[in-house]
Amino acid sequence: MKGIPPAIRKRKRYIAFRLIMDSDIEQWEESPNIPGIGGTGDINARGIALAVWQSLVSLFGDYYSGGAEIWVEEYNSGYGILRCSNDGLDKVKVALTLTNRINGCNVIPVILGISGNIRKCRSKYMEV
Amino acid sequence: MKSMRADFVRFSAPDVADLFDYEQFVSFSEKPKNGFSGFIISTDSVRELLSSLRRAKKGCLVGVLSNDFKVNKEAVMRKRVDLLLDSSYRRLDYATLKLASEKDVTVEFALSKFLNSSGFRRAKIFEETKDTISLVKKFDLPFVLTSGATNVFELRPRRQVYDFFSFMGLDGKKAEVYMQRLIRRYTDQNFIADGIEILKSE
Repeated sequence: MKGIPPAIRKRKRYIAFRLIMDSDIEQWEESPNIPGIGGTGDINARGIALAVWQSLVSLFGDYYSGGAEIWVEEYNSGYGILRCSNDGLDKVKVALTLTNRINGCNVIPVILGISGNIRKCRSKYMEV
Repeated sequence: MKSMRADFVRFSAPDVADLFDYEQFVSFSEKPKNGFSGFIISTDSVRELLSSLRRAKKGCLVGVLSNDFKVNKEAVMRKRVDLLLDSSYRRLDYATLKLASEKDVTVEFALSKFLNSSGFRRAKIFEETKDTISLVKKFDLPFVLTSGATNVFELRPRRQVYDFFSFMGLDGKKAEVYMQRLIRRYTDQNFIADGIEILKSE
């Protein structure tokens, strides 16, 4: 809804995350028992948002996942920032943890940190 | 006291424990490797459980994984059994959990069962886990929170595993204490029991 006064607007949270993918795991010394290694799909911001959204709806249903307001603000070479509402933060964290496939690729989502400000989130977790 | 951050997995994990904020992965298998590892007894018959327990090596954690109430109840009564491992087909009842609290047997909660299931099956797993959690709280049972991964893609960082289970009502700090106690039983020679340890030996 547009035109809501600042005091009533939902507060946002920014989750910095990293996706560990097949290519990262191939570099590790051993990688036994991996089902379906070598996914072909491209991972992009839209794909991640959809995968997390599907996980969220599957876990909490339409009613409770409606207020989460998730979107991927940016994603670049395995690192990204996911935006959500403060009220739905715990649910989004659970949904992200239970996400294991994005666009046909096996992934391990790693939450790097959470911030209330996107600039702070970028400077604290994304810049090495 | 030094914290011991360990994760229990069901495969030979690569050496990336620090990436997931752990100090070590303890791999459970039917043929445990040398060094600190876990011996898994996966059976549905009490007879097999007892014969497997005799084969358990000294110095390795013994975990029982069964979908039979009787096996789990028998396992809890055995001194050699350290923990009841978790899977999507584990069956625990009130009497078993009450006995587990008396015998000081740890109950594992693993994340992998939620990753490997979906739809109705996952809903059932959530329901069963909630019931187990309520009994764990009632009897103040020792429990550990692990990824229980069977392959690399089921590994998750420690904080995420703890956040997931704290969402379900389990206390992560308590789990850490129980995990530390469980590992110290086998790795720390000065550890005797809870609150009793050798500070200086001559």
